[in-house]
Amino acid sequence: MGSNSILVVGGGISGITAAVEASEVGYEVFLLEKRPYLGGRVTQLNQYFPKLCPPNCGLEINLKRIKNSPYIKFFTQAEVEEITGQEGNFTVKVRLSPRFVTDKCTACGKCTEVCPVERTDEFNYALGKTKAIYLPQIFAFPFKYAIDAQACEGEKCGKCLAACPYGAIDLKMQPETMTLEVGAIIWATGWQPYDLTKLEQYGAGRYKNVITNVQMERLAATDGPTGGQILRPSDGKAVSRIAFVQCAGSRDENHLPFCSAVCCMASLKQVTYVREKHPDAEISIFFIDIRALGRHEDFFNRVKDLGNINLIKGKVGTITEDDATKDVTVQVEDQEAGRLLTETFDMVVLATGMEPTSKHLPFELPRTPDGFLADTVPGIYGAGCVKRPLDVAGSVQDATAAALKAIQSVVGR
Amino acid sequence: MTVRVNPNLARTLQKFGAETATQCFHCGNCTIVCPLSTDENQFPRRFMRYVQLGMEDKLKGAIEPWLCYYCGDCSRLCPRQASPGEVMMATRRYLTSLYDWTGLTLKMYTNKSFEWLTAAGVFAATLILAFLLQGSPPYDHADLSKFLPRSYVIFGGMLFGLGLAGALFLNVLRMHKSIIYGTGIQLKYGESLKIPLSVYVKELGTFLYHFVTQNRYSQCTERSRYIKHFLLVLGFLVFAGYAGFMVIAEVIKEGFRVAFIEGSAHAIFPALHPVRLLEYAATIVVLYVVIDAFLGRFAKKEPIHQHSHSTDWTFLVLVGGTVLTGLLTHIFRNIEGMAAATYWSFALHLAFIVTLFVMGAFFAKWTHAIYRPLALYFIKVKESAFRWQNLPI
Repeated sequence: MGSNSILVVGGGISGITAAVEASEVGYEVFLLEKRPYLGGRVTQLNQYFPKLCPPNCGLEINLKRIKNSPYIKFFTQAEVEEITGQEGNFTVKVRLSPRFVTDKCTACGKCTEVCPVERTDEFNYALGKTKAIYLPQIFAFPFKYAIDAQACEGEKCGKCLAACPYGAIDLKMQPETMTLEVGAIIWATGWQPYDLTKLEQYGAGRYKNVITNVQMERLAATDGPTGGQILRPSDGKAVSRIAFVQCAGSRDENHLPFCSAVCCMASLKQVTYVREKHPDAEISIFFIDIRALGRHEDFFNRVKDLGNINLIKGKVGTITEDDATKDVTVQVEDQEAGRLLTETFDMVVLATGMEPTSKHLPFELPRTPDGFLADTVPGIYGAGCVKRPLDVAGSVQDATAAALKAIQSVVGR
Repeated sequence: MTVRVNPNLARTLQKFGAETATQCFHCGNCTIVCPLSTDENQFPRRFMRYVQLGMEDKLKGAIEPWLCYYCGDCSRLCPRQASPGEVMMATRRYLTSLYDWTGLTLKMYTNKSFEWLTAAGVFAATLILAFLLQGSPPYDHADLSKFLPRSYVIFGGMLFGLGLAGALFLNVLRMHKSIIYGTGIQLKYGESLKIPLSVYVKELGTFLYHFVTQNRYSQCTERSRYIKHFLLVLGFLVFAGYAGFMVIAEVIKEGFRVAFIEGSAHAIFPALHPVRLLEYAATIVVLYVVIDAFLGRFAKKEPIHQHSHSTDWTFLVLVGGTVLTGLLTHIFRNIEGMAAATYWSFALHLAFIVTLFVMGAFFAKWTHAIYRPLALYFIKVKESAFRWQNLPI
């Protein structure tokens, strides 16, 4: 006996995949997402490697499958507070934060014209700002505005209430709690970029022109803060000399002891962004080893052939900033040339690693020494980057496998 | 060029303290964050490689270990926690043992029991000798020159010092050979290197400058350690200077015969005499630095204190013992009825000093003071000789 429903926690590419796969076999699936829209970090990518296609097309198909499925119930701004019970009989308490915008919203955007408060745009990794009432991103699903409770001044301001032609804003909305009875749980809460402020040698986030690889995705995206022009943050100058610094936090016993698995390919991919936007730009990649595994070797070779690309073996020791020009200088032991190299760039992209989001869990689960989920509890299955660093293709495969595990767990209940 | 490898080198170096060298994956972070590494003399990463691959010849002639002052930045920031700073320390110990012609350094660095037995043996022998040679001292008040005649101390000390200096000189010759022929610019086939005395004289400034200022140490990110070390050296120099000054003073006042053979009365300075105040200051400084190092090695907070080799402890114990027994002798001497205690602490003081010097002559702890400036000096001499001979550099 028990429930044969499956709960999927995390609405990124892994969670969506697991939910779709399980539901299309005929199981009831609850999909929870913390953000106000589905799609996770994949929505913030400009292109996938190695095919260089935009993530939105594949994502759109999956979102359509969710929309059309009678078996999936998804909740945004939802977080698990407590899990009790065991395989077949989990009781899950979920907290739903208020969006303050109802289904009546047509995303006309009138509200943002009157909203007086700004907030950091976390979708663009803090490279820009939005109003306190905002459309999370242009492909947001559900396609509705949301209000940032922290930034919004609430009813004492209330300008958006008058501006909304559809009466879609409800500033009185309260947080809710719901309880789900499920048979199995797929935990797919993904990853987060390693905290830049811990990298003291690289400026700890103080230098404007030292950005992270995830920010680079936004700079190259047409719906990003620069409209897809790769301009450096300090003065909007088009970059002509750019450095990619690999293993910024990864493969480092003082930070993330593991290889984050995707950063080499991500940087090689970002080299193609730069080459496309700025054909004359001089591009340097500083690495310990380039890890282009399996068939990705081919992509690596293609990128090498783009020309005007310096591959320098050596982990960057320090990065400093020029006070006046905001140019950034990189210091490294160039091992092939046998010299200590000091070179100045317009902008530096740090290949910050993947940190698992399994630090705080609402239940006890065994973890690997690196903090990733170890998949050993009956009825609860990890999927995607919460288990180990993975690229999108790997996450999708892992999520499909997790869906099968969950189905095996609840079948016949 | 052929490279000979010694597959056991990593294992050998482990005994000198390079236990982590095999963990290195050659990112080069250590070399670039090192404030002392330069284009011409790159370290520590290359040394991690030499140890891993067993490139013994590269290691033997290297001067870089003497250019490293163990600031610790490399170890602190090492992504593999491979402690490159400690590996450099181990290479210094290794080189010290290579330079030592007696082979005792090698034994003492790699065999803890041998090291401790040697120290204990020298200590006991000195103590016994002191009591064997003692005169008939009074016990109603302390008179050190009656306990152990001054001439014994001065004459014995001179002999002892000359012996150690001679041994050290032979070590320096071996170091000279390994650097001149083992590192930097290489002679081509058929070329031979002649180094005229004038070149040695001309480049002597390099040696003196680095010997006196220890300037490279001040380039470490953390300057406080340079200051502590500099003070420690000043303290040692005050002690050594005091001993030398006393001998010269006695010779001038009473002649060689009295000073070396008959023995004069022990001169005691009045309480506020500048020489005495200087001695007090030196005592405080050395005690402070020794205690600081002891605590540091227990706390293991700084990279330099995280891997204590047994010889590090031996050295601290000997320096600490020397200063403490010196202090005790001084205190007991001024207290009535403590004559026996004075003689005992003085004998122990002598035993500590002799052991410190004997052990110190074998360990990098003591000899690095001349090996460091010599390494820079020899490499200058070599370049200069190449230019003098018009050989291609």
